[in-house]
Amino acid sequence: MGTERFEQRAVISGVGQSAIGRQVDRSGFQLTLDAIVAAIDDAGLSIDDIDGLAMFPGGGKANLPGYASGNLYEVQDALRITTTWRQGQVEGMSLPFYGPAQAVATGEARHVVIWRTVKEGSAARHAGGRPAYGSIHPEAEGPLAWLLPVGALSPACQIAPFATRYMHEYGVTREQLAWIPVTQRAHAALNPAAVYREPLSVEDYLASRMISSPICLYDCDVPADGATAIVVSTVEAAADLRAPVRIEAMAGVIDGRPSWEQWEDMGRVGYATAAAMWGRTDLRPGDVDVAQLYDGFTIEAVWWLEAMGFCGTGEAGAFVEGGERISLGGELPLNTWGGQLSGGRLHAGFGHTAEAVRQLRGEAGERQVRGAEVAAVTNVGGYEAGAALLTRW
Amino acid sequence: MTAAVGIPPAVTEETEAFWSAAEQGRLVVERCEACGTESFPPRGMCPSCRGRSMAAAEITDRGRIYSFTINYQRWLPDLEVPFALVLVEFPEHPGVRVFGRIRGCAPEEVAIGDEVEVGFEPGPGGFAIPSFVAVEGAA
Repeated sequence: MGTERFEQRAVISGVGQSAIGRQVDRSGFQLTLDAIVAAIDDAGLSIDDIDGLAMFPGGGKANLPGYASGNLYEVQDALRITTTWRQGQVEGMSLPFYGPAQAVATGEARHVVIWRTVKEGSAARHAGGRPAYGSIHPEAEGPLAWLLPVGALSPACQIAPFATRYMHEYGVTREQLAWIPVTQRAHAALNPAAVYREPLSVEDYLASRMISSPICLYDCDVPADGATAIVVSTVEAAADLRAPVRIEAMAGVIDGRPSWEQWEDMGRVGYATAAAMWGRTDLRPGDVDVAQLYDGFTIEAVWWLEAMGFCGTGEAGAFVEGGERISLGGELPLNTWGGQLSGGRLHAGFGHTAEAVRQLRGEAGERQVRGAEVAAVTNVGGYEAGAALLTRW
Repeated sequence: MTAAVGIPPAVTEETEAFWSAAEQGRLVVERCEACGTESFPPRGMCPSCRGRSMAAAEITDRGRIYSFTINYQRWLPDLEVPFALVLVEFPEHPGVRVFGRIRGCAPEEVAIGDEVEVGFEPGPGGFAIPSFVAVEGAA
């Protein structure tokens, strides 16, 4: 691969997290600062080294209570730094570090910190349950106008038809897919920061209440409170960094109709992004040592297992059945922090990225995958999608 | 069973024709006056030839269920559950897929490939929302 790829001019230098839990009784802003300070320290940098800030989502834009927290300018004011690059956005968020990597690769900034803060756990408690998507607005605007009025009031109902169609086309069963949340729960038991750590069995999964068929309770990620921050630095600063991780390749392609209900082939999601990503590296799926695949719902991890080529189309059920392949000692340890299904809905690939970095540094504690040199990270799927390979320095 | 509990749509220049027709129990999509391509939701631009002259076109024939879900969770107070949500495509109208509720069968009886008739029922905010009608004996 002779052509220069901009992402190789960037590294992920630090990751940091606040306290994470179903409810953390501190403001989202304080959780944000906790995560940012921890990430900068983790990078081996000082706050004054930071010259770029990015957050997701920007502008406090949200459709769920607790989904958005804080304001980029207030964070800059708290840090008392000068910035040469800033970004806050909802769209274009294929991966948390995509825009920051572009910024440091082009010299617009040297060290960018990006963060995602959620208070959805507290919001759900205050609402007496997981609230309806869009319920903080009186009317359903934009794409939501075709979803909320008919009763598709949650991402669960919006994404469930993908799972229905996928299982119909390929004959995959709930008994097979149960192994994703079950195995991830076993991983969460080894992660002190995970929200749910008690053992979960396939029987528990099958006995759990249905939310929006075929999505049951344990197919849904866990609304949580917490903040994750990531520092992205120019590769030129590597000597100043404690433990940088390389970005080998990344891509984010939307090649289908960008809405949940209009996506043409609901049995196949993420393929264009995965193909573009593999086109930027000589590494192959078999080279991946650990996979942090987005799992807002179980079916999203299924999409990525197949789109990334870890197994064939329609083969994810057989691939995950029994859990051996996706366990810590298996051929593709999956969501080793518990994923969003057990670790908490830290959202937008932030939790997944933080875990990939820790695994590649050998800093993942009891859940460490031995000799992890290549990690895959993906985000969402469908109408926003990102995939990357991170590699050990 | 009522579908009236929920969040109403914001009506825009692009979507006004759809919601007005819905009130009369009619399903209208966009049809390109230049090349005849039909599309939904309305964007004011043909997805095929990128023409900007789009007219409302009514769909009256039966659709087929592409996929579905049965929602059991009460996302809002007073929301009546369970209910099925169906994604309906129309063999004679490629490019059109409409999300809606379904009546005339128990939620658990809904299946991919089933035929449905176009229909509407009272939804949130006084809007009529797509509510397809299961075809008796359809396989």
